[in-house]
Amino acid sequence: MSAILTDGVIKVEGTCKACDHCTSVCPTGAIHGLLGQKHAIEFKKCLNCGQCLVNCPFGRIKEASMMEQVKAAMKDPNKYVVVQEAPAVRVALGEPFGLPVGTNVKGKMHAALRKLGFKQVYDTEFTADLTIMEEGTELINRVFNAVGAVKDEHAGPLPQFTSCCPAWIRYAEINYPKILPYLSSAKSPQQMFGAVAKTYAAQKLGVDPAKMYVVSVMPCTAKKYECERPEFISSGHKDVDAVITTRELADWIKEAGIDFVNLKDEEADKLIGSSTGAATIFGVTGGVMEAALRTAYEILSGQTLPAVEFKSVRGRAPVREASVDIPIKALGGKPLTVNVAIVTGTKYVGTVIEDVLAGRSPYHFIEVMNCPGGCINGGGQPIRHDAY
Amino acid sequence: MTLFSESGGITRRQFFKGSGMLLVSAVITGIFAKIGFDASAASDEYINKRIAAMYTLDEKMTLRKSHLNPEITQIYKEFLSPGEVKPLTEKSERLLHTKYGKEIPALIEELKKPHVPAANAEHAA
Repeated sequence: MSAILTDGVIKVEGTCKACDHCTSVCPTGAIHGLLGQKHAIEFKKCLNCGQCLVNCPFGRIKEASMMEQVKAAMKDPNKYVVVQEAPAVRVALGEPFGLPVGTNVKGKMHAALRKLGFKQVYDTEFTADLTIMEEGTELINRVFNAVGAVKDEHAGPLPQFTSCCPAWIRYAEINYPKILPYLSSAKSPQQMFGAVAKTYAAQKLGVDPAKMYVVSVMPCTAKKYECERPEFISSGHKDVDAVITTRELADWIKEAGIDFVNLKDEEADKLIGSSTGAATIFGVTGGVMEAALRTAYEILSGQTLPAVEFKSVRGRAPVREASVDIPIKALGGKPLTVNVAIVTGTKYVGTVIEDVLAGRSPYHFIEVMNCPGGCINGGGQPIRHDAY
Repeated sequence: MTLFSESGGITRRQFFKGSGMLLVSAVITGIFAKIGFDASAASDEYINKRIAAMYTLDEKMTLRKSHLNPEITQIYKEFLSPGEVKPLTEKSERLLHTKYGKEIPALIEELKKPHVPAANAEHAA
């Protein structure tokens, strides 16, 4: 079994300065050690989120790396290596190359990955759109079943929780097993990508799926743990072979001597590489909710949305709520008020879960992301040393 | 009033020394509080900038709703639900959905069985 599954992704180095800052950002109290003592992570509680790592003022917390496997696969003539990149990577990858924070380097990122030698440069945003189709339909079925419009014995209970964030999944599995039936059964976009790459794309490309090697570039350290989970083999192979973080990709681009800043913009490869703006905002807290509302509204009402944006779900407060009236075509245009909540930081999700289990939650759909602000502030993103 | 008397209270000199030290420590605390506050403000700022960049990127996209992505239509029509766009088919359930917690071992067993594709998995004529 992979060491990541047994020991986790994040480790405090022996040279820990014992400043105790990490314990204040850890969402689960997994870090032991008082001020002045060397700290250690208890994996039983750790979500692999890496918030301690990006916030350590001394850079003494490290992640397990799959870089060597990736480089070996790139050199192996029997491997056909393809890559996917999460939405949040493209607004942070420029930072290690001196570009201002928030520079969009989507096109340069695709170009750099092609230069590094990936056979196909796809995009996780494609499977973010696919997630909305599957997870959104699942939500519609649950709502229709609950209001008695369409009976569906397979429909899960309400509210439905999002399932994209692997740190949130692990949090729920460890702390609230009773909440698991409420989670959407949809895989995360990363894992959906692996599954369709080694089936649909392999078929279309005429590549043996056994030879296809799927690499993810993620703003997240918990994605490394996710890809190693033994249930992600629906393609008949390990769906995603390896995950590297935004930081690791930046180091690799530098090491390869690529002049990143002057690269010309390139598009992702077709087939499983196109995406919409709804997929892009998966990288921000509230983004999955907004993307789901855009699609659910149009499918349920049969009408075009008057305004694309749902600004009521945006913001940075750890727990937010909003209500949206959707005219339901199947019910003769009768409006249904959909109540939603957004949680950013698993530190704050406990009371939301307690309400659901006690039967007093007013919501239909709840988005949970572990990192404050969403994936753009994930544990795999460039570290802002200027913040200290 | 015994504050400045020779016995019992403190001397005038001790009073000035004491208040001077209090003032210095207040200033030092203030400086550190300021540094701390600035650090947290700076950290907020880069998060805001990355968030703003994501929304700007969304605004620039020609298509902004997932169900309008032509490659999404294509993967359903050609692969997941041949001939139509229909989420949650048997094939979607297998490839795109998962289970959690205690249900995982049974799911793994299921996935390891040789997969017999349903009759409708072939391209609709």
